[in-house]
Amino acid sequence: MLCMQLTAQQRTIIGKVTDSKGDPIPNASIQVKGTKIGTTSQADGSYSLVIPATAKNLIYSSIGMTDFETSIGNKGVINAELTSSDKNLQEVVVVGYGTQRRKELTGNTVTLKGSIAAEKPIQTFDQALAGRAAGVQITVPNGVVNSPPVFRIRGTNSISLSSYPLIIVDGVPSYSGDFSSTSAAGNALGNINPNDIESIDIAKDAAAAAIYGSRAANGVVFITTKRGKSGKAKVSYNAWASWSNPYRLPKVLNAADYIAFKTTAVANNPTASAVTYNLIKGPDGKPVDTKWSDVVYRQGFSHNHNVNVSGGGDNTSYYFSAGYTDQQGILRKNGFKRLNTLFNIDSRVSKILSIGGKISFSNEKNLAATTSGSLSGAAFNTAGLGRLSFVLPPILSPYNADGTYNINGSAIGSSNITGLSTISYFNPQVALDLNRSNSEFNHITSNAYVQLKPFNFLTLKSLYGIDYLLIDNDIFQTPVSGDGYASNGYAWAGAEKYKTTLWTNTAQADFTLGTKHNISALVGTEQTRRTSSGYGINRTSLSDPAYNVVQAGFTTNNPADLFLGENYGVSEFARLNYNFDKKYLLSGNIRQDEYSALGIKKGTFWGVSAGWEIAREKFWTESGLGHVFSSFKVRGSYGKVGNVAGIGDYSPYSTYGSGLYGGLATLQFNAVGNPNLRWETSKKTDVGIAFGLFNDRLTADIAYYKNDINDLILNVPQAPSTGLPNAPQQNVGSMYNKGIELSLNATIVQSKDFSWSSSFNISTNKNEITSLAPGLTNILTVTSGSETVNRTEVGKSLGYLWVIRTGGVDPGTGKRIFINSVGTPVYYQFYVPAGQNQYSTTADGLTKYVSPTGGTAIAQAADAVMYKNAVPKIYGGFNNDFHYKNFDLNVLITYQTGFYVYYGSNAGLHDQRWWENGVDVLTDAWKTKDDAGKKYAKPVYNDNVSNGSSMPLDINVFKGDFAKLKNLTLGFTLPRTVLEKTKLASVRFYVSGQNLAIVTKYPGPDPEVSSNGNTTTGQGVDRNTSGNARTILVGLNIGF
Amino acid sequence: MKINYKYLFLAGVGAVTAFSSCRRELLTPVPQTTISDASSFSTPGRISGQLLSLYGVMKNGQFYGGRYVIDMDIRGEDFINQTNNLITGADVWALNPTNSATAVVNLWPQAYATINDCNIFLEGMASTGTAVVGATLAANYIAEAKLVRALSYYSLLQLYARPYADGNGSKPGVPLRLTALKAPGFSDLARSSVAEVYAQILKDLNEAETALPLTYGAGSATNTTRAHRNTAIALKTRVYLSMQQYANVVTEANKIVSATAPFTAATGVPHALQANIATVFTNYTTAESIMSMPNSNTAGDFPGTQNQLAYYYSPPTSLGGVGNGEFSLNDATGIAADATWTTTDARRTNFVLKTGTGSTARSWLVKYKVGGSLNYSDYVPVIRYSEVLLNLAEAKVRVSSTVDAQAVALLNAVRNRSDAATIFTVASFATSTDLINAILKERRIEFLGEGLRNGDLLRLLQTIPAKGTAQAKTPADVGYIWPIPSSELSLNKLAVDN
Repeated sequence: MLCMQLTAQQRTIIGKVTDSKGDPIPNASIQVKGTKIGTTSQADGSYSLVIPATAKNLIYSSIGMTDFETSIGNKGVINAELTSSDKNLQEVVVVGYGTQRRKELTGNTVTLKGSIAAEKPIQTFDQALAGRAAGVQITVPNGVVNSPPVFRIRGTNSISLSSYPLIIVDGVPSYSGDFSSTSAAGNALGNINPNDIESIDIAKDAAAAAIYGSRAANGVVFITTKRGKSGKAKVSYNAWASWSNPYRLPKVLNAADYIAFKTTAVANNPTASAVTYNLIKGPDGKPVDTKWSDVVYRQGFSHNHNVNVSGGGDNTSYYFSAGYTDQQGILRKNGFKRLNTLFNIDSRVSKILSIGGKISFSNEKNLAATTSGSLSGAAFNTAGLGRLSFVLPPILSPYNADGTYNINGSAIGSSNITGLSTISYFNPQVALDLNRSNSEFNHITSNAYVQLKPFNFLTLKSLYGIDYLLIDNDIFQTPVSGDGYASNGYAWAGAEKYKTTLWTNTAQADFTLGTKHNISALVGTEQTRRTSSGYGINRTSLSDPAYNVVQAGFTTNNPADLFLGENYGVSEFARLNYNFDKKYLLSGNIRQDEYSALGIKKGTFWGVSAGWEIAREKFWTESGLGHVFSSFKVRGSYGKVGNVAGIGDYSPYSTYGSGLYGGLATLQFNAVGNPNLRWETSKKTDVGIAFGLFNDRLTADIAYYKNDINDLILNVPQAPSTGLPNAPQQNVGSMYNKGIELSLNATIVQSKDFSWSSSFNISTNKNEITSLAPGLTNILTVTSGSETVNRTEVGKSLGYLWVIRTGGVDPGTGKRIFINSVGTPVYYQFYVPAGQNQYSTTADGLTKYVSPTGGTAIAQAADAVMYKNAVPKIYGGFNNDFHYKNFDLNVLITYQTGFYVYYGSNAGLHDQRWWENGVDVLTDAWKTKDDAGKKYAKPVYNDNVSNGSSMPLDINVFKGDFAKLKNLTLGFTLPRTVLEKTKLASVRFYVSGQNLAIVTKYPGPDPEVSSNGNTTTGQGVDRNTSGNARTILVGLNIGF
Repeated sequence: MKINYKYLFLAGVGAVTAFSSCRRELLTPVPQTTISDASSFSTPGRISGQLLSLYGVMKNGQFYGGRYVIDMDIRGEDFINQTNNLITGADVWALNPTNSATAVVNLWPQAYATINDCNIFLEGMASTGTAVVGATLAANYIAEAKLVRALSYYSLLQLYARPYADGNGSKPGVPLRLTALKAPGFSDLARSSVAEVYAQILKDLNEAETALPLTYGAGSATNTTRAHRNTAIALKTRVYLSMQQYANVVTEANKIVSATAPFTAATGVPHALQANIATVFTNYTTAESIMSMPNSNTAGDFPGTQNQLAYYYSPPTSLGGVGNGEFSLNDATGIAADATWTTTDARRTNFVLKTGTGSTARSWLVKYKVGGSLNYSDYVPVIRYSEVLLNLAEAKVRVSSTVDAQAVALLNAVRNRSDAATIFTVASFATSTDLINAILKERRIEFLGEGLRNGDLLRLLQTIPAKGTAQAKTPADVGYIWPIPSSELSLNKLAVDN
């Protein structure tokens, strides 16, 4: 009877708990609301629960998932689909030393999912950020793999220090920039497998960044790696393979055209009558017509594999991943290999005590045979592959007819060009076959934390982290020819150690007074110590030609790569967030930093912000606007942060260094220090509104920002005649960046089978130098020690292109017309017939040119003008995600406009020495009298002036505006019906393409380029750089 | 609640540790690889190290360790540019470098770094150094610093200023910096006149002469690598010759040249010619080498990439040399083509290498023989005794305007050593001008590749002859001297261009 009654009043509900992809969630809790009756799901997600008749609602919950509540009604089977709290990324924002709900945020932080960097043919996550967020400008500077991108948040915020943002990985500041000392680029962030990233939070304004005080001026990027979720271990495997090719390489003359054109040039220069160009036969018996770009470039094949396992019990969760990637660049022998593991664990020991930690190990090999000529400082290398691909004549062959290398000493053999004894450029085939310029990184990052919650409102946390970057550099240059020839073989090895240790202690209190006063307060301390050391050896004169390692026999040994440094910082910081009813929001940050590398060590930085969520006001909700706007927040922030990135460890000190004189020790004045050196100060203003329409189907964020940067540290150049060993660093100068950012996110279509969501962002940036050092009117930035194109001047943006103006080519004589400082046309002829002048104010060359200062030649110092800006004025991205049934499609377009690029390679392509020329010389170079409107001067052998090789000219400056189809991915997920027959939880195939299309008027390979890498004042230069790759990729994701 | 207290206690301990553990001494790190300027004159070792650094800075490949010597030679007519590379002086050779040319902008700051280091050293000695090392050694050191400064200024004048002969030194020279600079803010300084700079050079050399030691010990290599009394005298013969003050040349030279052959220095280091010229370029520290810049093949002690004499002049190994063949000898109109420089002359047989045939035929200067595998560590000659002899010879002729017998003997001493068959007598020369021309030609042969040719052309205001594809430059032409570096013009508001 009793039994019967029970049966009548109780019943059993069965069902399955899954995630949004249909994968089962084990160990999920299913509970009758308001009771203690409950159960947990099985490994396959299924559950069975006996419920009383009074039960109304069930609550499903699982760690890492959003709780799900449903009414029971009369149902007997209830399946629950829980959504991952990942999806709530937009809801929670990583801020320094904690997280904050986006709705309560008053600073300007953009949150990106880690998935934007996964499944891409990239080496580091930063390469994937282009076009993804307003205010974030990424320029991939060249086609060399693992080259750090030019990364700017809200403009370039320093001149001589770094403008690269501070990167915080799981609470520990990471190394960033190129740490390889060889010709293979090595971005220090290469240890982070893009597949392991959960989220990327980019703090842009003072309110968001000021908690990092003296390091926050360039913005702060928080990388959060994936952590485990409780439940049965989930395994996923991701792999892709890709094929990369160069694109838009310069079109150059073939052998026949080359000979014909150069012969004309020789005929125009009577002093060069001995020079002849002769066709010879190559090893294949055919006349040589070498396409040097084929010697230098290739199709690069890359593949990438990741396995990760995540899971956990009620109190402990873990994430483990292992990855392997082997990527080939488009330059032969250029590559990147990474083997990495990551292990994250979090454990709740008791209600009060939690512990956790992370250990990540990565082995990266950056590979290159020789210099690409594309990394900062390498543009004019005679061995530079990018340059050799278009400077070497097509009538020279990599091999002689007998199959041996075509060489002449260090240089390429040029016996079929008579009248000049050697070409100083190298035969790239030798270096590609025999040389090495590699670096290997072993990068260990780890942290461990203890967290106490003695009271519900109080969290105490202590985190100790390390970041050890150990580098082996390995260079070998064969004695056969090229770089190692003069030294009869050359090897260089350097072992470098960079260590960071960090200890952070924080106390965080979160509580609500009454019902509406929400308070969150944080105080903390932090100590960071960094040490660096290196030692190595440089060996020359190889004792046996078979040797090619540094350990082998060489006769001359020298020390190399010796350095030793240390710095230390101590900080105290605090943050207070307050909001009233989530309506009125206030926040303040303060941080005091003390840093060893400064003369004045102590500084205080702060940021304040306020916000008003109008949509929570009664008048708003009642006005009808509430139906349209789901949220409408007005916010503003102001604060002061600093920049110390790139200051030498011992900058305050004037020092004497050791040297040698004929084998005897010397002590030489080697550095002028500045005992008053302090941080650069950046005062940041941010005002914005953020609103959501139609239940957040459309969200928009509009912000105005202004960064006022003062106390810029400049290496104030002194007149060379002062004889100082360096340009001393001084806190002088100021500039600003300001602009407007707009981000729109919209779910345009959302139906059962089809969805389309779109996000668009556009940012403007105006950069202006407002003062430099007293007496310092401009800063010249030299490209690779040879050519100065960028000049930084008050009233202009950073690194303005500074070139000589031209007035075309004289139709009558084919002479280049230069425009001098006061606008006078000056006719130039390389070959000067008797009685004429090289520079003349008349086309006939008879009137000697005399400049306003008495000079008789056009010179950059006297005649160049501030011509065009190199800093983009507008940039952004347009991203679209489509889903149709099981297909997904992503289309990302990035763009930058309002800037100019100096295409220096174009000067080389029109140099009238023996150099190879662009095909346009056939149509665009002056040929006969009255040839009007020609771009290039009458070809005169050896003329390296008329078309810009010896001094930068306006004819080689082009608009850089571009829009790129940066990414296109088409994916297909196997339907669940198919999967049910397998043991697999999910399977997705995809194909994707990078840089598939580009719209630009820029004539070079790619306007997204930087011969000077991240150099703040040297942007907009494309000199002998190898362009970016176009990549096709196929991939596979499998979940078990 | 018990457990709460336990954790609170732990948290308290943790917080105290965290706040108190900061290691404040790390905020003022002491550099471990350099010496602070506060203690740079604190020990005799540091002072002597600094003294040697003055020579070391001058020896930099951009300056006297390489490029100065090379530039001074290739401006003349005896070399032909082979690689047409602006980095390795194609424009220097063609006499058309711009204000921003590699050679023009790199040599100037290195010379001034040498000068400033000398100024710093002189001030440091005056304030503390003298007390540390004692008066005798201090006087010696100070004299050496003055000599290095003088030689640096002299070198700058040879390239960046009009010759003294043009207006008796009234033309713009170079900024004359004589105070120690260790901080920014001193960029602006006008160029002093050529005469003013020469006056300072002579003042320094005169003061050096009195204070320098006679010798660093018989046979000591230091007699070549550091300045002694005869070094100052020998340099003065060169300086006065440049100023066309021939009587002074004679006065100075007579201090260290005996009246009759065999010519030797009677006081101080016993300078004399070596029997065989080849010896001078294998044993770098004979009594003939009054001063040379010593190199070794240890890092930091050799000229460095594209600055080495052998790299420029010696052909590639494929042609039997050790260098890069940047410049060959001018077989058409250079001294190599001069028939009076006989084929049996030791300077031809030892120092000239012929390669190739027909259109590839070239002659190369192989005076410098140490190759890249040893980092091109030949010593770089600054001044040799044979130059003093020829300086004296020329000055004597110019002073007397006669075919001076001692001058002929001096010329013979240099010529006969390498070419026993040619013997000049007074009768060999119809006029004093013929003798002067013979001496000038002898200088081209004897000092080929030693950095004297440009000075010899300019001090006499001679046209720099055409060579290969390069055109001649008369003293009135742009390009006769170098322009002032663009970096100086833009940062030193008082500097004016040439």
